[in-house]
Amino acid sequence: MTTWEGLLYGIGFALQPGILIYCVLGVVLGSFVGVLPGIGAMAAISLLLPVTYYITAEAALIMLAGVYYGAQYGGAVASILMRLPGTPQSAVTALDGYPMARSGRAGVALFAAMASSFAGSILGIAVLVLLAGWLTRAATAFGAADYAAMMILGLVAASTIGTERVAKSFAMVTLGLLLGCVGTDVNSGVQRFTFGQTELLDGINLVALAMGLFGVAEVIGNVRDPDRQAVAERIGLRAMMPGRDDVRRMGWPTLRGGALGSFFGALPGTGSTLSSFLSYAMERRVAKRPERFGHGAVEGVAGPESANNAAAITAFVPTLTLGIPGDPIMALMLGALVIHGIQPGPLMLEARPEMFWGLVASFGIGNLLLLILNLPLIGIWVAILRIPFRWLYPAILVFVCLGVYSVRGLTFDIVAVAVIGLAGYLLALARFSPALLLLGFVLGPLIETNLRRALLISRGDPMVFLERPIAVGFVLASAALLIASLWQAFRRHTGPDRPRTT
Amino acid sequence: MRRDWPDIWGGLVLAALGAAALGWTLVHYDLGSLRRMGPGFFPATLGALLAVLGLVVALPAWRRTGASVPVHPLAALAVLASVVIFGLGLSRLGLVAATALSVLIATLPAPFAGWGWRIALTVIVPALTVVIFSFGLQMTLPLWPRLP
Repeated sequence: MTTWEGLLYGIGFALQPGILIYCVLGVVLGSFVGVLPGIGAMAAISLLLPVTYYITAEAALIMLAGVYYGAQYGGAVASILMRLPGTPQSAVTALDGYPMARSGRAGVALFAAMASSFAGSILGIAVLVLLAGWLTRAATAFGAADYAAMMILGLVAASTIGTERVAKSFAMVTLGLLLGCVGTDVNSGVQRFTFGQTELLDGINLVALAMGLFGVAEVIGNVRDPDRQAVAERIGLRAMMPGRDDVRRMGWPTLRGGALGSFFGALPGTGSTLSSFLSYAMERRVAKRPERFGHGAVEGVAGPESANNAAAITAFVPTLTLGIPGDPIMALMLGALVIHGIQPGPLMLEARPEMFWGLVASFGIGNLLLLILNLPLIGIWVAILRIPFRWLYPAILVFVCLGVYSVRGLTFDIVAVAVIGLAGYLLALARFSPALLLLGFVLGPLIETNLRRALLISRGDPMVFLERPIAVGFVLASAALLIASLWQAFRRHTGPDRPRTT
Repeated sequence: MRRDWPDIWGGLVLAALGAAALGWTLVHYDLGSLRRMGPGFFPATLGALLAVLGLVVALPAWRRTGASVPVHPLAALAVLASVVIFGLGLSRLGLVAATALSVLIATLPAPFAGWGWRIALTVIVPALTVVIFSFGLQMTLPLWPRLP
């Protein structure tokens, strides 16, 4: 089946009423849970898993996928209006989206997020369709050393670019990596840092960590703030129209973010969180005036939103073609397929074309629906988020608790959220970045596994990182970033002494 | 001179955490070799790195002035207590009572006088929670306190 035949076949398949209804259901539910701070795609998909027993495998996958990328749209809304990321991927969007909302440009920020999300998704779909086979081969050419080097570059890039205090960023990444070690060591079966708690055997719950660091810590920081309110303005369609200047600023970041997201999404183990971080870092680096970032630069919204949506689409490449889930949510998707007795792998594109092409077509249809639906629905999301904070935060706390509880059904995780929330509050007070901690936590186990595998294959010779052409590129890029940031720190240190204002 | 206390304390606590992780790893887990890494290799490296980074953050901060940080211990205490009580109470008190109790506690530190809105929330949020999670999402949760 050629690409065009496949695509046409897929569109026909996805437009069947019995499939389309699940696509619509998925994206609407996804937007809703994305907007609600405290429950993300992860919890929603876990909750929906039992439901998928009763529908066909294709409908199940299309619905769950819809929840996933729908939540990316919704997550941006909560990030921009309340600085509460509904999903970990949209944490970066809050950095500039929230300052934009605070300065009365919430409508433009939302439009930028929606438009770039859509553009990024379309780019991701194009990459997925045209390069599905090629990307699979490229991904299989990646050895363990290449994976490890690539993920280390991701961490170095995220902690050196865009931060003034590099040591603090690295400390957070390292703490995240260390927290990622908690649980059963996959190679030896040794229980590390579990202190006899059976709840910690699988490691610290990612949802508990994200909700504690972002949800609970944010609530604590704002309870005493009497002016805390979601947004101060009414957002109509007119307010969402960006100026000519905004459109000009959005174009390239959206394209760059989409390209970055398509690439990193397709590589197993990186996923959309890393690509939104990288996109933000990149936009900040190439900007003529990087000091605008963090104070409401539209590029800081468009780039990462395009990147995480593109990555959310291309993340399906390794999942469907290699059976390797790129992130925890993809692991849940894989679980849904296995429930239906389908083992994703290199043969699936041939054996079940309706699965692959139907899903691809549903991405296009679903994203179009999200764009059309979300423009009028913004009013409703804003109405929800306009309520004064004191009316909202008790409900947010309860939703966070139940969202975390829904993942594994353990009250241990709710108490863990409180402990993590305290730590997150203290870290925010001392101006350490909890987002970097989360990134280190997600990548930690993957880096360790690949590092150990690479050195096992090379018989303990660390030169393997300099001999493989892919790995050496990542190593050199990491080294360059490190040297550049050390040089900047040195220049700052020897330069004129300025008082710290922040 | 007002020192940069957040960085000093933050750095020192992280350094202590790193050192503790390093120590615990060295005592309990096998390091292995570079060729065949044991379960302790990665955490030990990270612990040492964190200890060094913590000091790199903390030491220069000693000679630097920093801004004061507003701390709200009461807000933190109430919010955390609310989460903990929900977690511990869910299976024993049931969803309705646990939600009501944790909502009431969470509202205490808000800088708004009066009990009207607090009581209203204590009624509205549990109702909403039951409708969304118990009826809507079909989560299996005990609704009412378990009788002895």
